[in-house]
Amino acid sequence: MPRNRLTAILLTLAAGVMLVGGFQFDVLYAKFCQITGYGGTTGRAELNDSEVLDRSVRVYFDSNVAPDLNWEFKPEQRYIDVSLGQSGLAYYQVKNRSNKPIVGTANFNVTPIKAAPFFIKTECFCFTEQLIRPGEKVVMPVLFFVDPQMDDEKRYDDIKELTLSYTFFKVENPETQVIDKSAAQSRDEVN
Amino acid sequence: MVAVPGDDHAHDHKPGFFTRWFLSTNHKDIGTLYLIFAIVAGVLGGYLSFMMRAELGEPGIQIFDEDVRRFNVYATMHGLIMIFFVVMPALIGGFGNWFVPIMIGAPDMAFPRMNNLSFWLLPTAFACLIISFFVSGGDGDGFGGGWVMYPPLSTSGSPGPAFDFIIIGLLAAGFSSIFGAINFITTILNMRAPGMTIHKMPLFAWSVLVTAFLLLLALPVLAASLFMLLTDRIPGGTGFFNPAMGGDPVMFQHLFWFFGHPEVYIMILPAFGIVSHVISTNSRKPVFGYLGMAYAMVAIGVVGFVVWAHHMYTVGMDVNLKAYFVAATLVIAVPTGVKVFSWLATMWGGSLRFTIPMQWALAFIALFVIGGVTGVMLANAGFDTWAHDTYFVVAHFHYVLSMGAVFGIFCGFYYWFGKMSGYLYNKWLAGAHFWLFFIGVNMIFMPQHFIGMNRRHVDFPVEMADGNWLSTMGIIPTGVGMLFFFLMLAEAFIRKRPAGDNYWGEGATTLEWTLPSPPPFHQFNTLPRISDDDGH
Repeated sequence: MPRNRLTAILLTLAAGVMLVGGFQFDVLYAKFCQITGYGGTTGRAELNDSEVLDRSVRVYFDSNVAPDLNWEFKPEQRYIDVSLGQSGLAYYQVKNRSNKPIVGTANFNVTPIKAAPFFIKTECFCFTEQLIRPGEKVVMPVLFFVDPQMDDEKRYDDIKELTLSYTFFKVENPETQVIDKSAAQSRDEVN
Repeated sequence: MVAVPGDDHAHDHKPGFFTRWFLSTNHKDIGTLYLIFAIVAGVLGGYLSFMMRAELGEPGIQIFDEDVRRFNVYATMHGLIMIFFVVMPALIGGFGNWFVPIMIGAPDMAFPRMNNLSFWLLPTAFACLIISFFVSGGDGDGFGGGWVMYPPLSTSGSPGPAFDFIIIGLLAAGFSSIFGAINFITTILNMRAPGMTIHKMPLFAWSVLVTAFLLLLALPVLAASLFMLLTDRIPGGTGFFNPAMGGDPVMFQHLFWFFGHPEVYIMILPAFGIVSHVISTNSRKPVFGYLGMAYAMVAIGVVGFVVWAHHMYTVGMDVNLKAYFVAATLVIAVPTGVKVFSWLATMWGGSLRFTIPMQWALAFIALFVIGGVTGVMLANAGFDTWAHDTYFVVAHFHYVLSMGAVFGIFCGFYYWFGKMSGYLYNKWLAGAHFWLFFIGVNMIFMPQHFIGMNRRHVDFPVEMADGNWLSTMGIIPTGVGMLFFFLMLAEAFIRKRPAGDNYWGEGATTLEWTLPSPPPFHQFNTLPRISDDDGH
């Protein structure tokens, strides 16, 4: 019965589309989070050219380290008060407590979640992988501003505080090459 | 309906035992296999729940004292077995295979061999789940991460092979259902008898059609998320759900519930179809608001795809998003209300008979409404945040599944038992089964609304002892009731009282009642014609 076969083929296609859609969901999901700030995904910009408003928010800084990463990671200041549109600069301190060079990468989010799309970073250590040598202590900046568009809508009027939170994870297969000192020296000699 | 002429010569030439049952392509035999399989799996799933209830009978640890983690393994397996290997095989594979082709006047399913494949994937899948029970899941045997399988507990948290077996088993069960869904949709769309328009089709066929579409669109998403879990579990593999690799564990919850919410309608819609027939037959009236009933199921199916995040209000969603999911979820109460009130209107002014299937159907309506009301409560994000992961939720979904779907299964079983086996059941034994089971499950689940206890805990403080004790006592009538079910089966097959073609008489108007009981091995070699003035 060719009609049955046609129906079955169409239905199999429908199921196949859902299967592929399920696999591609991570791409859709990442896009969706970027656009809506869902789950506390923050925005990113090249530079801050927004006007500065006469309303300030207090930005708190939080830090976490994954259990399998022997790093010390803490913000240098607990909070900063910034006006909407004003650039804020905060520093985090990282120390590698292990005896090996390790590459880590930081994930981040902002709470309250509804304000996350307005939290915009122009410069951040979380954009790239970080290589820290044994015992090395590094101070890392994050340059950000809170988009003054947040003032346009009433539902963001209750926002007086924001928390920016980072978690450092170990990168198993880093793009940054981990070169220990002896290897680096020998390469210098060749050059 | 028109009687079926001249299709009874040499039809009951059945193949030998092995060919008939193991290589079967006959929709009725495959339906029987599904029902037997569901009964066997149901006994195991029920045993697991009885052990958990026995553990929770009093404070302290009684049964799982060697490995308390085993309690969560039991809970996980109970959920998976009851959903994938009891309710779905019984309602869709069992009754669907048996009665959808007959009700629409088709000789068999569209793809009989694929039907065979659908069934035999299930015991294979079930074997994988059983194996999972006895192999290492990291710090003990089995997987205890719940039927929802959230990472990271199901990825880095369960290193052993136990969860891999569950993934493989669920993939097999999922593909079995997808093949079944393709088969049902093709059969219903293309193989209806002449005159059987889609708006004359019996409601059970409608319910299976909607269910099959839900299966077809929801299960591939489960398959995708299970594949992703599998590759995430491989050391050095992917990191879809691993934040250290840029993934997101909450994404799994979205994927899972995008499948999981349609899944709950997959389990209840065929029961809606069965109950509609039973109430119409036993009121000796056509069902009230036929088109409304059919399209209410379509509406439930469609809206069921856009409400999934009400299972995850506590993951940290924006309040606007919550507001949407609350509103969309509450909307489902409208078509469900259409169904409930249409059942009541069907009975209104009818000539009622309180037969055994009618008792199950009436109990279904009452108990499903209780579960529906707690469902409307839980749809509200504010209340849900408070009741999240408590026994209130457990009571809610057991009222709609353990009493909704399972009462629907028994309702259909007693309604069609004579048609399927050819024998009448003993009314006293069947009545004892109904009343004991009815009292038992209410004793188990009604107190759970009020215990105020967290889910998935092996122990509880002494203040919660009374409710838990009452709930555990409920397993006694439930268990004895199930004994009466098996006694009823044995008695019917020993006594062999012939049932006759239409043992419900007036009111039973669908095509299966025009055939002998049991129907011939092949029916409708000459297709029945449904005239314009025939009802549905």
